[in-house]
Amino acid sequence: MTRVGIIIDKYHLKYKVEKFLKYLKKKAHVKIYLEEKTLVNFKKVQFNEDIFFVKAKGNLVLYLAKLIEQEISIPVINSYKGIFLAINRFLNSLYLKKAGILVPRFSLTPIKMPPPFNEYIIKNIIDQKNYSFKPEIKKNKGHLEVMDERALSEAINSSENYRYLYYQEFIKSKWEYKVYTIGDKLFFYKQIPVLVNPDKLKTRREIEEIPELRSIVIKVNKVIGLKISSLDFLKTIDGNYYLTDVNPTPNFNYIKNGHKIVADYLIEQAKC
Amino acid sequence: MLIGALIVRIGILSKRKHMFTGELRKYLESMGHSINIYTRENLQIDDNLLENDFYILKSKQLMFLYAGFFLKSHNIPVFPDPEISYKQKNRIESHFLIKNAGLQAPNIFLGIKNIIKKKIKKKDYPIVVKPLMGSGSRHVYLINNPNELNFKKEKILYVEKYIEGKHILVYFIGDLVRAYEKLPFSDEHSSMRNIGVTKKINNIISRWKNKYNLQIGHLDIVIEKDKGIIYIVDTGSFPEFSQWDINPKPPELIWNIILKSYKNNFDS
Repeated sequence: MTRVGIIIDKYHLKYKVEKFLKYLKKKAHVKIYLEEKTLVNFKKVQFNEDIFFVKAKGNLVLYLAKLIEQEISIPVINSYKGIFLAINRFLNSLYLKKAGILVPRFSLTPIKMPPPFNEYIIKNIIDQKNYSFKPEIKKNKGHLEVMDERALSEAINSSENYRYLYYQEFIKSKWEYKVYTIGDKLFFYKQIPVLVNPDKLKTRREIEEIPELRSIVIKVNKVIGLKISSLDFLKTIDGNYYLTDVNPTPNFNYIKNGHKIVADYLIEQAKC
Repeated sequence: MLIGALIVRIGILSKRKHMFTGELRKYLESMGHSINIYTRENLQIDDNLLENDFYILKSKQLMFLYAGFFLKSHNIPVFPDPEISYKQKNRIESHFLIKNAGLQAPNIFLGIKNIIKKKIKKKDYPIVVKPLMGSGSRHVYLINNPNELNFKKEKILYVEKYIEGKHILVYFIGDLVRAYEKLPFSDEHSSMRNIGVTKKINNIISRWKNKYNLQIGHLDIVIEKDKGIIYIVDTGSFPEFSQWDINPKPPELIWNIILKSYKNNFDS
């Protein structure tokens, strides 16, 4: 029987993987590595899993993945590099733009300096914690200004104390497109943009595959190094898709039988 | 614009304008170059940075590193390389750099406070709690027993096994190596004693430099008191060189290295 290690935190364990674990445990030996209960000893690297699945984004989780990749040849999904780049909005925007992916214009700007764009969304620089997007929306001289509460709190109140804000230029779009990837399977959805209707699930619907988006998604996953992801896009009036968000730990419960598809994919990717 | 071997516009990414950065500016201006210093007060990471021809990444604070990545992605040369500078700033990446160079690093642990208290064995104390991103002695705490682990926040802690022995700061600029004995946890500017460079230290520096193609930097090493094993406990890509005690001074040495390394950029 395949041995699967799940590297996870309390939040994801409690809210996101119940059906997945129930299904996986029928097919594999499962061992949970809980961020809040694990001591990573970098000298003692002994694991007998055939594959690891990372379902969190915290530092312990991230560096445990790195240690496994560095010291032993057990596949880790997603990889350290994939998660590290996906959660760092500035670095992934930089690398994706360099690779030819359309991303909204972006900037890292000191708090004291004026915004670099007329219409913008301020997002947190490193999207590592388990809380959702809380937009504070304002109109200034007809221009849209959106601030994610988390960004300001990380910039001035927390241990990060960046004193910098990540600005992403606002892209006007009728729909927000969300594409989930599980291995080579892609799942396409669209919904009213969260800024227009915060209840994202109310308007979300599955759509037919969009070939142009498929090729963009495959390229993004390759550049960042992700095997499982969800990517958000906005479409401009001239028909271009702009990538606005990369998530390395998507909620696959939104996909029909998502928990089974992920579990079966992990078993298929296991080393034995 | 590049004119012959002269760079007209140099950006320096630095948390301060004085100390080493001030000396570097003075030296480079005396050579006829135009210098823009970017601190956290005026550094905006966007296309405006592309106005300079070359950058010196003096500080390893996160925003300066991001600026370095940004410039590199736009093919603007940055010295030292932002990627290796980032890895030296991140203590876990740095741990792997040391190990992958075949050098000794103290064992490290990650975990929340209560798990560390529960699972690290008493024989492994004293331990040192350090910020994950950082170098030097800022926010570094020596913990002698589990009861001293009384941090309020339940965040993930980075912990190193404490190595008892002789603490040495080693600088290198090109082929020049200098070594100074220091007190444990003292910063670069505190009182130190030049102790000369032994063959072992020289070999460690050569190995480190060659593995990662480094031309300047520092290593904090500890010669363990019982077995004499040499451990690398801290690495850095651009120290202040405040202990440097020979001529030429670091700004001139470093600029000569830059001129040599980026000859092709400058000639184009």
